[in-house]
Amino acid sequence: MSVLRPLDKLPGLNTATVLLVGADDALLQQLADSMLKTDCASELRVHLARSLPLPSNVNRPRVDLLVFVINLHSKYSLQSVEKSLHHVDASFFLGKACFLATGAGRENLCSVHRNTVVRLAHTYRSPVLFCDLEVEGSRAAMAQRLARMLQISAGHVPGVSAMSLLSLLRSSESPSLEDL
Amino acid sequence: MESQPEKRAAAEPADSGGEGGAGGLPQVAGGRSEDRVTLLLRLRAQIKQQLVEYKSMVDANEEKTPEQIMQENQIEDKIEELENEIEEVKIAYEMKSIALNRIQRSTALQNNLEKIDAKNSEFMDNMKQILKLNKLIIRSQKESRSLERKRLEIKKKRLDLKKASESKLLEIQTEKNKQKDDLDSMENSDKIKTIRQNLQMEINITTVIQHVFQNLILGSKTNWAEDSALKEIVLQLEKNLTRI
Repeated sequence: MSVLRPLDKLPGLNTATVLLVGADDALLQQLADSMLKTDCASELRVHLARSLPLPSNVNRPRVDLLVFVINLHSKYSLQSVEKSLHHVDASFFLGKACFLATGAGRENLCSVHRNTVVRLAHTYRSPVLFCDLEVEGSRAAMAQRLARMLQISAGHVPGVSAMSLLSLLRSSESPSLEDL
Repeated sequence: MESQPEKRAAAEPADSGGEGGAGGLPQVAGGRSEDRVTLLLRLRAQIKQQLVEYKSMVDANEEKTPEQIMQENQIEDKIEELENEIEEVKIAYEMKSIALNRIQRSTALQNNLEKIDAKNSEFMDNMKQILKLNKLIIRSQKESRSLERKRLEIKKKRLDLKKASESKLLEIQTEKNKQKDDLDSMENSDKIKTIRQNLQMEINITTVIQHVFQNLILGSKTNWAEDSALKEIVLQLEKNLTRI
């Protein structure tokens, strides 16, 4: 299957699967470990991928949340994420996909401007989260946040759906200057 | 999709069995069966939510999507429209649930008003506090509104004053420029030139006459320094007329 679809498989009982897509293996591994350490009522499963499309011979559960990890220090990660975006079905962007930009803190190493990622996320109408995956505290906080988002996207939280979370996370487009 | 209702049906009898068991043995029930009950309830909520999701996806797919290819900015507008619709529906739902809660609470109060005689005073105190706070809120809102209006008026006056001062300064500037232009034109006019020329000629004539008289007196070889009247005349003739 060349295109990843959100609801083509049945969900596993009490399990939620997140797919982290990014070019930087070490960061993805660290984030995956942090996510598995968070205590969550449902069982979390984390899959890592460097790029989409995924090889179709593996039997994998349905993906509840898709996180594109972009490292602001390398243009290659942005390019590989952009290439992978073509292999994702459009219905993923109704709340089951989000962008994660890391490394915005160190300006001198950033080769990708954060506005590029913000604009990319705006085109796909998905939330963008900023964090520093190399700092332990920030990574743990982001892992908790992602775990909560994953629970909501998997349908484990009654009353909140992925799309309502999406409209909650929508921030105002550009801050307009207030007339004084 | 077909196995969903099955799973749900399978969860429910087990659920009710668990609940019945927990009700029958109040405190003898160990932690494990309570955990199991919580787990089953949670799974039930999960499966309900997932079922709602699938149902909504099925309904969404039944809607016909427009086949024509739209421009990109049109698509953006359409997307924003749809997003706004979602927001409006959410807000409407929230308002309705709030209104429903309020109605439910007021009916419950009405029904139980007779029963809560003992707690009446506390209840009445709460109600009075609520009314007081509401009055305070309304009053402060009125005040803030009047202050806003005053602020707006003052801003308008300030703007008017600024405009007036701007126009006055402009006037002053134009007047000054006009004066300067007049002065320049006056200096360069022909009348002044002819007047100047005439003046110069008169000065030259008078200087010549002065020199003539001087030479007359000097030529007469009289001692003009002794006679005060002659001295006065000679000194007066020394005056340089161009310095007048």
